[in-house]
Amino acid sequence: MTVGLEADVCVIGAGAGGAVAAAELAEGGMKVTLLEEGHWHDPDRFTARPPGMLAELYRDGGQTVTLGNPPIMLPLGRGLGGTTLVNSGTCFRTPSYVLERWQTEFGLDVSEDSLRPFFERVEKALSVGEVTPELAGANAAVARRGAERLGWSHGYLRRNAKGCVGSGVCAFGCPTSAKQHTGITYIPRARAAGAEIVTGAKVERILLDGGRATGASARLESGARFTVSAPIVIGAAGTIHTPALLTRSGLGGGSGQLGRNLSLHPATGAFALMDETVDMAKGVPQSFYVDEFSKEGIMFEGVAGPPSYAAMSLPLVGERHERAMSNYPRLAQFGLMVSDSSRGHVRSVGSRTLIRYDLTDDDLARFRTGLARMRELFEAAGAREVYLPLPSGVAPERARRRDLKLMAFHPLGTARADARASHGVLDGDLAVHGASGVYVADGSAVPSSLGVNPQMTIMALATRLAFKLLGKG
Amino acid sequence: MTSYSSHNPIETFLAAAPRAQRAGMRALLSLSRRPAGRRLVARAPAAAQLAQVIEGLGRYDDPDLARSLGWDADAVIARGRELRRSEGRP
Repeated sequence: MTVGLEADVCVIGAGAGGAVAAAELAEGGMKVTLLEEGHWHDPDRFTARPPGMLAELYRDGGQTVTLGNPPIMLPLGRGLGGTTLVNSGTCFRTPSYVLERWQTEFGLDVSEDSLRPFFERVEKALSVGEVTPELAGANAAVARRGAERLGWSHGYLRRNAKGCVGSGVCAFGCPTSAKQHTGITYIPRARAAGAEIVTGAKVERILLDGGRATGASARLESGARFTVSAPIVIGAAGTIHTPALLTRSGLGGGSGQLGRNLSLHPATGAFALMDETVDMAKGVPQSFYVDEFSKEGIMFEGVAGPPSYAAMSLPLVGERHERAMSNYPRLAQFGLMVSDSSRGHVRSVGSRTLIRYDLTDDDLARFRTGLARMRELFEAAGAREVYLPLPSGVAPERARRRDLKLMAFHPLGTARADARASHGVLDGDLAVHGASGVYVADGSAVPSSLGVNPQMTIMALATRLAFKLLGKG
Repeated sequence: MTSYSSHNPIETFLAAAPRAQRAGMRALLSLSRRPAGRRLVARAPAAAQLAQVIEGLGRYDDPDLARSLGWDADAVIARGRELRRSEGRP
């Protein structure tokens, strides 16, 4: 039997974009139904132990992998909060040079001034503030010492956290609920404003009548199907899965760009053995950055975690791995993130979404340079040994793609906005070109790599979309 | 309330992987746990590293080993629960 729900707006996905749009629209007086494939994750069930938490909080247990050279792990959150549930909480506004590019290259009306009120609104909602040196911990202090000795630009990151005590497991479920992910901020607001939130609901397609949105059809884990009737539908299933949703719905294919233009922040991490006790998991794992080389597309940001996380990340094998792990309290770690020029694509094969992404020569060069500088940073900080994520005997400048041990974060661009219907999937208001009443509010709409963590950009754009639909923008 | 704890962390982690990866990683682990297989895996550095990743994730998840390295997950969780309860956090 098919059950039917009715709403003014149906939002698909409860991550950075969907949760924000749902709350703003519900508080603005619209009747909202929010459909989320995952579930609510109760902090009382968190364990601060990575293997179990990866399995529970992440899609595919955090083992989503891109096909290409090299293969790259791409962890994605799943549940109320989406990836905001498991990210490090780092908050950057969209850099001004990126907004300028969006104006000139994609014809979008996105000046710093026009977006400022939306950023301010999101930052207030999420209690965004700068990490203190005390809370950042000794891992950040190592990087700071190196950056200061080298004269490299650096600083403490801004994060969406309130009452953080530095539990050290942001990526494995915040045990204190200090991280203000959308599952504990915007979702409760949406619910309080009357939004209906359905979890465990996999949306099959967006429903249309003559190119105009009429709602969405979905299936629960029990197999029961239901529909939501709504004249406005907002897709926010995330950069990897929104293209599949639009394709299944016969939407967004006009420009040939749907599923293409995938940008990531490929990243890796290096370790250093220090003389002092670091206890990397005591403090905020991602609390400090070095942006001396950001204009070259190279950004250093803190990463850290408990022993099992470190053992998984440490680029050593056998006895060397064991020896280094026996010194875990003195290990420091820092991450290298590249603002990519590579572009991949996503496509559906059966029920799976395949991600193809090959690293360009330019990005390989960024990793070579970045790893050499990472060694420099640790050596300047007084490291006794530096463990770069490269096979034994391979120097950074000679690293090949297959030598790199990469993860990636921040997928963007697979349903990119472009004012021209021939060049993009969405228009400047994030409406799907060629359809009426269908919008997208997630990373897939973001037309280019940001070079910084994207959650604030996605949330600000979702807020702007909600205001537009409410007639306030 | 049951926590997301596991008696077999590697199996819990692998069980969440996409089917093809899961089968491949189980085969790799099975091979690398035998002396002859370990020598074979060692010839492919990427495979050896992947096996190390999974084994390391499981081995250092052991509470006693983790505590000996200064990490007490139970204490972190207990502090979180106390803070959430005393301050009315979600």
